[in-house]
Amino acid sequence: MLVLQLLASGLQTGALYALTAAGFALIFGATRLFHFAHGATYALAGYAFVLADHAGLPWPIGCLIALAVAVAFGLFTDIAIYRPIQRHSASFFTVFVAAFGVVIFIQSALEITFGRSFIAVSSALTHASQILPGLYLAQVFWVAIAVTVLVFGALGWFLSRSNSGIALRALAENTELLRAYGLSARRFSALAFALGSALVVPGAVLGAATTGLSPVVASHVMLVSLAASVVGGIGSLRGAAFGGFLLGIAENLVVAVLDTQWSEAAGFVVLFAFILLRPSGLFGTAVAR
Amino acid sequence: MSPILSVRGLAKHFGGVAAVQGVDLDLPAGLITALVGPNGAGKTTLFNLITGAVEADTGRVMLAGTELARRTPARMARLGVARSFQDLRLFQSMSVQANVLTAIEPHAWFWQPGGRRAHARRLQATEMALAETGLSALADALAAELAYAERKFLSLARILATGAQIWLLDEPASGLDPASRARFSALLRKHAGQGVAICLVEHNLDIVSALADRIVFLDQGRKLAEGEPQAILRDPALAAIYFGERRA
Amino acid sequence: MSAYLLNLAELGTIFALLSLSLNVLIGYGGIFSVAHAVFFGVGAYAGAQIALHLAPDVLLAALGGGLAAGVLSFALALPALRVRGEYFVVASLGLQMVATTVFTEAQGITGGYGGLVGIPPPSLFGLDISSPRLFLSVCIAILLAVMAGVHALMRGSFGRSLMAVRDSESAAEAFGKIVPILKTLAVVLGCIIAGAAGGLFALQMSFVNVESFTLDQSVLIMAMVIIGGVGTLLGPLLGTALLLLLPAALSFLPGIPPTELGAVQQGIYGLAMTLLMIFRPGGIAGRAEGRR
Repeated sequence: MLVLQLLASGLQTGALYALTAAGFALIFGATRLFHFAHGATYALAGYAFVLADHAGLPWPIGCLIALAVAVAFGLFTDIAIYRPIQRHSASFFTVFVAAFGVVIFIQSALEITFGRSFIAVSSALTHASQILPGLYLAQVFWVAIAVTVLVFGALGWFLSRSNSGIALRALAENTELLRAYGLSARRFSALAFALGSALVVPGAVLGAATTGLSPVVASHVMLVSLAASVVGGIGSLRGAAFGGFLLGIAENLVVAVLDTQWSEAAGFVVLFAFILLRPSGLFGTAVAR
Repeated sequence: MSPILSVRGLAKHFGGVAAVQGVDLDLPAGLITALVGPNGAGKTTLFNLITGAVEADTGRVMLAGTELARRTPARMARLGVARSFQDLRLFQSMSVQANVLTAIEPHAWFWQPGGRRAHARRLQATEMALAETGLSALADALAAELAYAERKFLSLARILATGAQIWLLDEPASGLDPASRARFSALLRKHAGQGVAICLVEHNLDIVSALADRIVFLDQGRKLAEGEPQAILRDPALAAIYFGERRA
Repeated sequence: MSAYLLNLAELGTIFALLSLSLNVLIGYGGIFSVAHAVFFGVGAYAGAQIALHLAPDVLLAALGGGLAAGVLSFALALPALRVRGEYFVVASLGLQMVATTVFTEAQGITGGYGGLVGIPPPSLFGLDISSPRLFLSVCIAILLAVMAGVHALMRGSFGRSLMAVRDSESAAEAFGKIVPILKTLAVVLGCIIAGAAGGLFALQMSFVNVESFTLDQSVLIMAMVIIGGVGTLLGPLLGTALLLLLPAALSFLPGIPPTELGAVQQGIYGLAMTLLMIFRPGGIAGRAEGRR
């Protein structure tokens, strides 16, 4: 039953990773930007939710605040950091360093403001009950799965039905199109940043309610969403979602064999193997070269 | 005159698209051969197949009668086949002089063999190539800071310095002003006169008719015709293809 | 000089070696590794083991550390040959995360969280050089020798070849460059120097544990190179000096509780990295118009 239990928590972790990674993939697809600061968006949204909760606000308001913070921060990085850089430099490295600087800055700002330790919101949802002999599930498990399914459903509907969504998807699938669009791609870049950043909110809120948040979550989530996107195939939404689940499950299942200290490393072993053996990822077509 | 580089039946498919289909090509020493054809005719791909930048499906490449299997760009460069790129691909962050010097330092070790004397020879070859292309005064400028024409001449200087006997040039003179173009053409003529086999891809038919000794006409990956410039350029059927009137 | 300043100077020399070596990868090779602390760590553990079990000789520790890091650097060279740009950054991040866990778990070699303690005071060819002044002089001598060597290599054909590959891999190949060998050499060279710095670090601290070899440390080294100026000789040294003096400077500022110093320092260099990339991507010592 241990394996089943681990699989369940793997699914729960994976669901949240999948959403965050999908946000990263969406932004990458539409803008070709490796949004390293995506993890900072996650951390800020999570902390915003915790603050709202501690202020006694009801959780739907907290979620809205987290959403507003995430979208505002995503748009801010696009407008205030990436665009000025891209005006003078096409080098990925400049963008990467700037985004990395943002992550470090946000992380230390959170550390100074909230301290280094975990903070969390307490919720009745996290009380686990026995479902099968030896398998304990909290309601938050079902919430996580349901929210993920719902959000992916809504996202899929948006990308296949609405005009802006179709345009976004077309951009993600065809770089040439992005070039041909030229300046008007700017508008879609803002849309992608807003939407992609919004996707961190469920993960951040549920993360705050379950494992809790600490400042290093910014770099951890950055790493995980990067890893999931690479494993799934950069720019592929389906791939990122799949990669997120895969990493979440790998992280949890490895505990059945090794100490818990290896759980984070397990995900990165998977990542490293993918980069060496199949850099285009599971669903990717174009190789990195 | 026997060709120093010959290509037989070179072919390449990308997915379902046949980019190059069984092309034969001979490059004799001392002649300038122009590859002409509409966009997508497979001219640049042909260069990539010859140098091994892209692996060919089938076909052979012979250098002075010896077949070269398993070609890689680095190996072809060592065998004296130099190429340029349509988008130049200069070493942007390096000086003009370093761009040329590094082009003739192919050894992948911490230093080049031959010591100071060999280094002095390479410096001299660099200086000569810069002098020939009129870039001596700009030797210390960064490649990224050069004007358009200077950049084109720098890409030629890299090739000149190598002393390669076969040059594959991808649109070397396009976009040049008339004076620079004349200077560029004179350089190519001079080196062809010294026995270099030059093959160039060119869209501008004025340049082609002024410069080329022979024309090879490609369309949709096939060689349609080959011969004297005037004969090819006057052929109404080829002109129709070139200017976009597709056959039924 | 006070003991505090001597200690800072020793660390400065060691970090100068580190940033200098990372500059070979980032500045010249275009290989953007975020795993440099891994090789620093490998060198430090090797140096510590040599000092504990053989002799605490400075040169022996530096050579042993360099050798160990050089051998393991193939773990970084492999992805460098397969992928570039963002993909390589991600691969090196992965390597860093895995290595941190290995450092923590391989207690037989690294001592785990507790680390390796009781490293004897440094010597050189049997002579005791445990006095800070002597040790500092030896470190500076090593730094100067490495700087001279790296400078000569980077100004010579090797440096040109590396930069050519960085600027345009396909063009470099078209002029006969054997790209895999060049990239591997750059990675191995950079990691050997990082490992040697690790060996010195073990002797300087007389204690090593995993906390010095985490992602944060890799980022700090990277920040030194970037803030100073990538691809320049003096930039990394300048960046090292600035970032090492930052905590000291901050501790003189009133109003910052000592427990927050680390966070404030990180916040400052994070901000500095972002602002520099927007306004002066070449770094402080770099060209104002930036890299292309």
